[in-house]
Amino acid sequence: MPETTPAPSSTVSRPVSEALLNEKWDRCVSNMLIKSSLGLGFGVVFSVLLFRRRAWPAFAGVGFGAGRAYEECNWSLKQASRDLKTKP
Amino acid sequence: MLRNSLRSVRAVSSRPIRAAAARQWQPAIARSNGATARRCFADEKKPPIDDSKLPKIPATETNTAAASEPVVSKVDADIISSTIDAKDVPQAPPAPRSVRVPPGPLPVKKKGFFRRLRNYVLTLTLLGAITFGGGVWYSRINDNFHDFFTEYVPFGEQAVLYFEEAEFRKRYPGTVGNGPRSKDTSAQVKISPQSGASWRVADSTESSGRQSSAMGDVVASKKTAADKKSTPVTRAKPSPESPKAEKTPIAPSTSESTVTEKKPTSQKTKPGFKAPEVDEPSRFPPPTPIDPIKVKDAEEPVIQELVKMLNDIITVVNADNADERFSSTIYKAKTKLSQVGSQIRDIKATAEQKAAAEVESKVQEFETAANELVTRVEKIMASQESQWRGEFEEEMKRIQTAYDSRLQTEIEQQKHVNEAKLKNQLLEQAVELKRQFLSDVQNQVEVERNGRLGKLDQLSSAIKELEQLTTGWNDVVDLNLRTQQLHVAVEAVRASLDDEEHPRPFVRELVALKEIAAEDSVVNAAIASINPSAYQRGIATPSQLIDRFRRVASEVRKASLLPEDAGVASHASSWVLSKVMFKKQGLAAGDDVESILTRTQTYLEEGNLDAAAREMNGLQGWAKTLSRDWLGEVRKALEVQQALEVIATQARLQSLQVE
Repeated sequence: MPETTPAPSSTVSRPVSEALLNEKWDRCVSNMLIKSSLGLGFGVVFSVLLFRRRAWPAFAGVGFGAGRAYEECNWSLKQASRDLKTKP
Repeated sequence: MLRNSLRSVRAVSSRPIRAAAARQWQPAIARSNGATARRCFADEKKPPIDDSKLPKIPATETNTAAASEPVVSKVDADIISSTIDAKDVPQAPPAPRSVRVPPGPLPVKKKGFFRRLRNYVLTLTLLGAITFGGGVWYSRINDNFHDFFTEYVPFGEQAVLYFEEAEFRKRYPGTVGNGPRSKDTSAQVKISPQSGASWRVADSTESSGRQSSAMGDVVASKKTAADKKSTPVTRAKPSPESPKAEKTPIAPSTSESTVTEKKPTSQKTKPGFKAPEVDEPSRFPPPTPIDPIKVKDAEEPVIQELVKMLNDIITVVNADNADERFSSTIYKAKTKLSQVGSQIRDIKATAEQKAAAEVESKVQEFETAANELVTRVEKIMASQESQWRGEFEEEMKRIQTAYDSRLQTEIEQQKHVNEAKLKNQLLEQAVELKRQFLSDVQNQVEVERNGRLGKLDQLSSAIKELEQLTTGWNDVVDLNLRTQQLHVAVEAVRASLDDEEHPRPFVRELVALKEIAAEDSVVNAAIASINPSAYQRGIATPSQLIDRFRRVASEVRKASLLPEDAGVASHASSWVLSKVMFKKQGLAAGDDVESILTRTQTYLEEGNLDAAAREMNGLQGWAKTLSRDWLGEVRKALEVQQALEVIATQARLQSLQVE
């Protein structure tokens, strides 16, 4: 994501209008990373403890986390588009 | 009273005791009730304990009870009982009285009828007499009652009159005879047949004389009572009327004529008596009684006395019929008396003459004295008059001189005043003339000055016009200056805006502009239309705008393919697909985002910010949201540009207006 770097000219705290979408993408990506890593961690623990070091609990955990993040990202985007419709 | 109260108290106090006793002792109750109780007490002979109490109780009872004696006698030794006895005694008398009365009337009634009648009559007469006497007495005090009493009570008038008369007599014992006599005379006057015309000549003369005497009687009564007394004595023989008749003629006569008259009358009357004696001539002189004398000088009291004495003597002599013996002496006495009278008269006359002479001399003396006095007074008056006249003249002279001097001074003063007035008038005239001259001069000067002043006015008006012109020109110059300043200011703003390097606030320039064109409403409105953030932060330059547009355009392109309600997948797909889209060039036709962006870019490259902004304004959805900030920038810049253009136009207009 090299293009997500904000413009230096905009000194305001509020994000510039053209960076709105980029910001959202950033959030989504970070969220997905955290959630999938968390799911991976849980899956690893479960696999070690319960499933005799099988891999699939770890994947399942990553899947859960990624799915959760995706859903949240989707919701936020839809909410933003809904706001755009109502606000202007 | 005290005893009664004591008794009542005792009764009250004793009752409970008695009741208590009654409860204990039956006989006690019986005793209190009455005589039976007594008997019981007597019979039973109660113990001595009772006696100490009882004496008091019976005492109260005995008073009320009729038969108390037995108890007293029985009680014997008590002091209280003895005191009550004393009271009881008065009660006894009434019985005898009543006893006496009933037997009295029956026997007396027979006797008493006459007795009562007699008493009645007696009292009646007594009362009547008393009332009558009282009425008489009161009638003499009160006139009204007198009238009433005399009119309505029988015999009242007589009684009252009798008493009045008695009192009158008591008060005036001298007039005892007069009252009745006066009455008699009045009665006789009524009756008298002698009065008026009668056939008898003598009577007629008498009557006439009598009538004349009626007047004289009054005069005579005044003189003396002696004449009256003396005359009646002399005329003792004739009836009481005759002395009056004869007396009356005597009284009026003050001279001897009365005497002469009297003599005939007496002779007339006497002859009636001595008619038989007259027959004997030898005896003629003796019987003539001696006449009582009458003196002409009756006024003299001494002579009157003498005459009275002599008359008395004469009467005595007459009465004794001893005329002959005493006639000579009496005549002598008479003559002597007359002589004495004449002498007295002479003496009187001489005395009168002397007195008259004296009076005359005195009068003369007084006259002379008066004359002297008058002359003296006149002299004094004359002298005083002359003196006063002299004084008056002197005074007059003095006053005249004073007035003259005053007049002189006044005249001098008037002269002075006149002179002063004249001088004043002259001065006034002079002043008037001076004033007139001055006014003339002033008028002349004024006229001349007015001519010059008019010219001066013209000059001043011309100068004023010039001034106005200059001021007008000044205004024009000022306006020019201002417009120039405005131009300069606008140019300064524009210059500040044209700085390509980086935007900066142009507040100072704008303030200067506003100060220069303070009263210009158009400039003010133009400045007001500028967004405050524009001049505070400055506006983006066209190059900056274009630079930013490139970034915005890439972002917008990413979101150009997004559907209506885009999720993560659609966003990702539009991002991927936008990478592979073909780019347009120039003024591309079409309503899609790519063509709009291309047109905007071309406009920007041409420098047409306005059109670029218009194009960008046509975006929808995410694209519009992404390009919002850039649009705001462009708008600000456009606003400032417009305002500046308006102000510049205004300045140009002003510079045009001036010319």
